[in-house]
Amino acid sequence: MIVDITVNGLARHLQARSDSLLPDCLAGRCGRCLVFMDGRLTYSCLVPAFKARGSVILSYEALASLPETQEIETAFSAMESPPCPFCRKAKALVLYGLLAKNPNPCETEIIEALSMVDCPCTDHYALIAAIARMAVGRNKRIYSRENK
Amino acid sequence: MRISEIHYPSTIQETVTLLSANPAILLLAGGTEIVGTQTARVIDLADQVACISRISELRKTMRTEQFIELGACTTLTGLLSLSKGILPEPLPSLIHSIANPAVRNSATLGGNLCVKRGFMDLWPLLSCMEAQVELRAESGTRWASVSHLCGADGRPYLPEASLIARIRIPIYSYNFVFLRKLGSSSLPSPDRACFVCLANLSGDKIVDFRLALSGVKAFRLKDLEMTVSGRRRNTGKKEMGAFVAEYEQAFGSPDWFDSRVFSALVEESFERLYS
Repeated sequence: MIVDITVNGLARHLQARSDSLLPDCLAGRCGRCLVFMDGRLTYSCLVPAFKARGSVILSYEALASLPETQEIETAFSAMESPPCPFCRKAKALVLYGLLAKNPNPCETEIIEALSMVDCPCTDHYALIAAIARMAVGRNKRIYSRENK
Repeated sequence: MRISEIHYPSTIQETVTLLSANPAILLLAGGTEIVGTQTARVIDLADQVACISRISELRKTMRTEQFIELGACTTLTGLLSLSKGILPEPLPSLIHSIANPAVRNSATLGGNLCVKRGFMDLWPLLSCMEAQVELRAESGTRWASVSHLCGADGRPYLPEASLIARIRIPIYSYNFVFLRKLGSSSLPSPDRACFVCLANLSGDKIVDFRLALSGVKAFRLKDLEMTVSGRRRNTGKKEMGAFVAEYEQAFGSPDWFDSRVFSALVEESFERLYS
């Protein structure tokens, strides 16, 4: 079947099997397949191709060059033990989604966002602290930009 | 490998027509349970599948003074994003405890009530809250209590060729809530269950007592609930013990849930209720 979707701003006409899924954990756990589907974070491994028809998909690749994502990446790099290559993009994506919705997330909100990516590679509290610090820095930057 | 025929109905009526032509058609909205339980990359669905997630009639929300009416395809995130205070507690807390935000972005309210392999978390609470569902079929439309989605054998039941179109939840708060989720799996499994006990305490009087357990099967005794409702809390431990014993006796030793765990949950809920 032909599935018409918009991926990272480009209209695509994909030839897909009606029952095909992206391969990863196939259970909505690991977070490696997370994308923004119609503006909401979704495990694409739980979305059959036919269900994606007419959807607008944004993957990490579309957001990687944005300053917001760069800041998250910088915060990761500054950590003693940053997220591993397996989950790094997924964690950046969920934190991007969280900070877009709430520029001042509390610890509980950060933990909940990170629960979408099931990878125990990082010290959770170090990651939460790094994100909280980054959010403060970002708010200062946005605030000073607005003042100018 | 089975190749499924996919339908994209745009209205409830189209879906109902498809259902009456082929009652075995699989209705897929969020798909988190249907797809999440499959382990292969190539998923095995029914011969015919109707993708109903984009039917706008199934995503509408309406509110009156007495109840809130939600389309069956309202996502769990959509429910949580309703203004604070619209959904009566403990419904928002329970929804918040289901899976994680990305799953809740896809999972739907109707889907949570339609799973055939067992009951999901919302059934016992919505049943205790006396929520209703609108069942649409080719023969007509009718409203039924969420409790009726449980068959005589205690397993999930949905009338053949019917679609849950809307869910009506009374806006009525309970000042006594005892809710426990058991098991680690977010999908129906033998070790997973949800226990709910609701009541309103008016001074010393117990009003509107409700107690339900759901897992692979469901359990609720409306007659005993009526007996407990209207009692006074100062009647002592003897009466409380009698109610607990009645629940234990009625529950027996089923194969789908450990009766000792059930006894402990009932005992704790009654102790809290009478304290």
